[in-house]
Amino acid sequence: MAPSPRRPISRRRMLQASALALPGAWALAACAREQPLGGPTSAASAVTAPSGATSAAPSPASIPIASPSNPVKWPINPGNEPIASGLEPEANATLRVYNYPDYLDKAVIKDFEKEYAEYGAKVEYSTFNDYPEALTKIRSGSIPYDVTFMTYSSIGRLVYGDLIRPLNHDYIPNISDVWDEFKDPWYDLGWQYTVPYVIYTTGIGWRSDLIGVTIGDWPNPYDVFWDAKYAGKIAVLDDHREVIGMTILRDGGTDVNTGDPVALGRTRDAMLEMLSASQPRVTITGYTDIPEGVLALSQCWSGDMVTGQYYMPEGVDPTVLRFWSPPDGRGLIGNDFMVNLKGGQNPVLAHHFINFMVGKDVSLKNFSWVGYQPPLKALTPESMVADGYVPKNLASAVIKPEWFGVGYPILELPPAVEAEYQAIWQQFKAGA
Amino acid sequence: MGDRSTRLLWPVLGLPAMVWIALFFLVPLYVVFCVAFGTVDPVFRSPVPTWNPLQWQFDQVEVVWDRLFGPDNFYLPAVLRTFAYIAIAVSACLLISFPVAYFTARFAGKYRGLVLALLIAPFWISYMMRMLAWINLLQPDGLVNAIITLGGTIPLEVNWLSGKPYVVVMGLIYGYVPYMLLPLFAALDRISPSLLEAARDLGASGFDLFRRVILPMSVPGIVAGSMLVALPMMGDYFTSDLLSKSPNTAMIGNLINLSIATPGQSGQAGALLLVVLLVMLVPMVLYTRSNARAEVRS
Amino acid sequence: MTVSAAPAEALLAESQPRSRRRLRGSSEARAYGLATITAVYLLWALVPVAITVLFSFNSGRSRGVWQGFSLRWYTWDPTGSVLNDESIRTALTHTVLLAVLTTAIAVPIGVLFALALDRWRGRLPSGANFLALITFVMPEIALAIGLLFMVTYLATPFGLGTWAQVIGLVTFQLAYPIVICRARLLTIGAHYEEAARDLGASALGAIRRVTLPMLFPAILVSVILVFADVLDDFVIVRYLSSDAATETTSMRIYQTARAAPTPALNAMATIILVVSTVVIVLGWLAYRRWAARQGDAAVIKSLAGNL
Repeated sequence: MAPSPRRPISRRRMLQASALALPGAWALAACAREQPLGGPTSAASAVTAPSGATSAAPSPASIPIASPSNPVKWPINPGNEPIASGLEPEANATLRVYNYPDYLDKAVIKDFEKEYAEYGAKVEYSTFNDYPEALTKIRSGSIPYDVTFMTYSSIGRLVYGDLIRPLNHDYIPNISDVWDEFKDPWYDLGWQYTVPYVIYTTGIGWRSDLIGVTIGDWPNPYDVFWDAKYAGKIAVLDDHREVIGMTILRDGGTDVNTGDPVALGRTRDAMLEMLSASQPRVTITGYTDIPEGVLALSQCWSGDMVTGQYYMPEGVDPTVLRFWSPPDGRGLIGNDFMVNLKGGQNPVLAHHFINFMVGKDVSLKNFSWVGYQPPLKALTPESMVADGYVPKNLASAVIKPEWFGVGYPILELPPAVEAEYQAIWQQFKAGA
Repeated sequence: MGDRSTRLLWPVLGLPAMVWIALFFLVPLYVVFCVAFGTVDPVFRSPVPTWNPLQWQFDQVEVVWDRLFGPDNFYLPAVLRTFAYIAIAVSACLLISFPVAYFTARFAGKYRGLVLALLIAPFWISYMMRMLAWINLLQPDGLVNAIITLGGTIPLEVNWLSGKPYVVVMGLIYGYVPYMLLPLFAALDRISPSLLEAARDLGASGFDLFRRVILPMSVPGIVAGSMLVALPMMGDYFTSDLLSKSPNTAMIGNLINLSIATPGQSGQAGALLLVVLLVMLVPMVLYTRSNARAEVRS
Repeated sequence: MTVSAAPAEALLAESQPRSRRRLRGSSEARAYGLATITAVYLLWALVPVAITVLFSFNSGRSRGVWQGFSLRWYTWDPTGSVLNDESIRTALTHTVLLAVLTTAIAVPIGVLFALALDRWRGRLPSGANFLALITFVMPEIALAIGLLFMVTYLATPFGLGTWAQVIGLVTFQLAYPIVICRARLLTIGAHYEEAARDLGASALGAIRRVTLPMLFPAILVSVILVFADVLDDFVIVRYLSSDAATETTSMRIYQTARAAPTPALNAMATIILVVSTVVIVLGWLAYRRWAARQGDAAVIKSLAGNL
């Protein structure tokens, strides 16, 4: 019934309509919000050049894409210099932390508030469901978040969108506790903007009492998501890059950041096939759904099953949890990092918070709650199991440092390719 | 002098609401148009609204159109699914509501006040709480499984919350049925008992009575109830999210909700929303006008 | 002469008791059948909620297995209880705050608009009325997205957060007071006000001294409905929220119902249920006191008719 929007409207009607609408439209345009893009561009230029061709906006091609083979040192935009050294934390501040749900120990937050009680510091923990949502909200500028947790796939846009603040390293002495490579990571040479949080692989988690087979013994464990036998019991992550990346790996590919339309077309078809074969749910709550038995198996991050043992219902043996990711490290791998958002009102306290989080003791305490492994020098794969941070049945969830040399990180994509990925995801989420 | 100030009084009283509606209903609606007919930022792929209707671009609407009816019509299954869910849910709401409303209107007697209060109760129990109630019941170790497995003795355990379309439809029925009940009750309550008796005296059998008197006279209630149930379901995404989370039960609301948070897609979400509103325009206007007429009549 | 309306009347008078008797036999069975259906429906509608309330008093973590009565999830659990989990407390207070603010704005401007509509004929007011009624049946998501876009792309003096939420809620709820008060005004009619004018009251004075008091039950019902409805709102509140401080109870249920909820979530939902019940009971008592003085029950009827 809906008329085709392509049908041309008669010229006269158009003029009539616009004669009515123009004053209103002009009034609206006059109060159009200045896009935070490119920082402090003047409001006037944003109005007179609504095509988006404002001078500060970089052309899409000019944002470099960081990768292990193309390490990037990000520019520091004029007017966005790091804060001065030796400043006192803001008094009676509410530090707004923006992160995944259940991705930071509440007790650690309480500890931070206690340690900074003399400044009256309070922490407010807000959550997002995925990075695109987070980036959209941060960019809208409507909430002054101070610290957020991100990964490589958005770093260029964070810098070029002038959304994050460069760090003053004087406030972050605890960086010495983490692996040295994170003092000069390929995604942020000289750690100008980022401090590592946790590292993870993406694999498959399941309950051995509900799935009677050892997925890891299969020639291609990813095939489980295309197996109709598990229909209604399994899920994939609610993250477009993770699912597309996993599908590429399953089909024998290695470029999880491909822009090749043919490869992407194949991937899309495979994902639709998965929809009809195993009817997966799409969720990031595998860490509770698997323990509770709502799901038997799910694509999940390595920390999910480790933390999952705390969500086991009473009477179920927590050692039934299993995790698999490619044991040679050739799977999806990544790390999250903390950044100080430019829109935040408490830059000094944010530096203190980041330093607090990265320190060894706090890091370990947080690890034992979130289940995600921090890249601490003090931890070895053996000690993590021996000290009980990771139970024996989940030893496979421990990440070996050398995996970062062979695994496949999910990188930022050129905007056009990102659009392709999003379109595939839309189609997948629309159901079959 | 006095007369003029009296004449001015009414517009002045009405002004706050009218300004409010203009500012916070019409302007937002116009912004949706500007976003849907706008462009996209090249780097962040966030929408750049086009304020001047003369410069409106139709790219995003075309994308949505293609996804609905074009070669790439992957929205279509979700749209058809939504209509199917709504059709089933509305019919079921009607089937449930009719006897309940009829009983309350005709036979409840001295319990009428109590029954009515219980029927209205779900209105002040939040929708989310009622969904939470079902999540609790339907979880693997929930009460429903405990009952059908007789406490775990029979291996009949069902994973209700893992993308079962009928669970989503049940959730919709459960959530929306009160909105059908009340208008239906109001309509049935207006039928005077003596009219029914007269019809009976003229020889109408029970079924005839229903078909030729009760049903025709409850049509306004049926129409109003169906609208009140069906229209909000067009934008419902949370029922499917809470009770299923599977793409295979995604409704139109889920498509909109998904794209709104995705950079580069919020313009398309706006366009899709406009298409939905366009489809709903006729029933919405009809409902509103019939309501206004009923108001004048009473 | 004798063959006039009288035989028909006599026939009616005579037939009524007979037909009643006849009706009673078959309709009693029907009434029992319908009563059974109604009872089953009410059980289905209310028992799940009752169980949710019950499990808020569970002493264990489970929301499916009863482990004994306790107030753990209300008071004494050190981290998870309503009392000790600040985010739950925030959600509760924020929900109530939104309900209060929205009611305080939506009801007055809605009542004034209904008064204006009663006298002011023309395209402008009836168009505005039409738009207000449209918001009533429009999917909430449309209004929510419109306002989200507006706040995001226009330099509005308010950002996402409490005020955006209140503005969205008021727009969505405005139809309640308008519809209810208009219906009441139609049943009151103009003559009281005219009488007051004849006795020398100004137009405003007549409204204040005569119309508004007679509108009281309609205003009361509007307040209750708006307040209770805002407590339940989800879509608008979620789209227009900003950070954790502007989270409501419905948002929390949506976010954690499928993640890792404890019975504290049930406890929170129960508290909101108690709040709305208290408001409704208070409203009902106030209405009864008013009605006892006025002897009027038309409003409830007109309300049901307009839903």
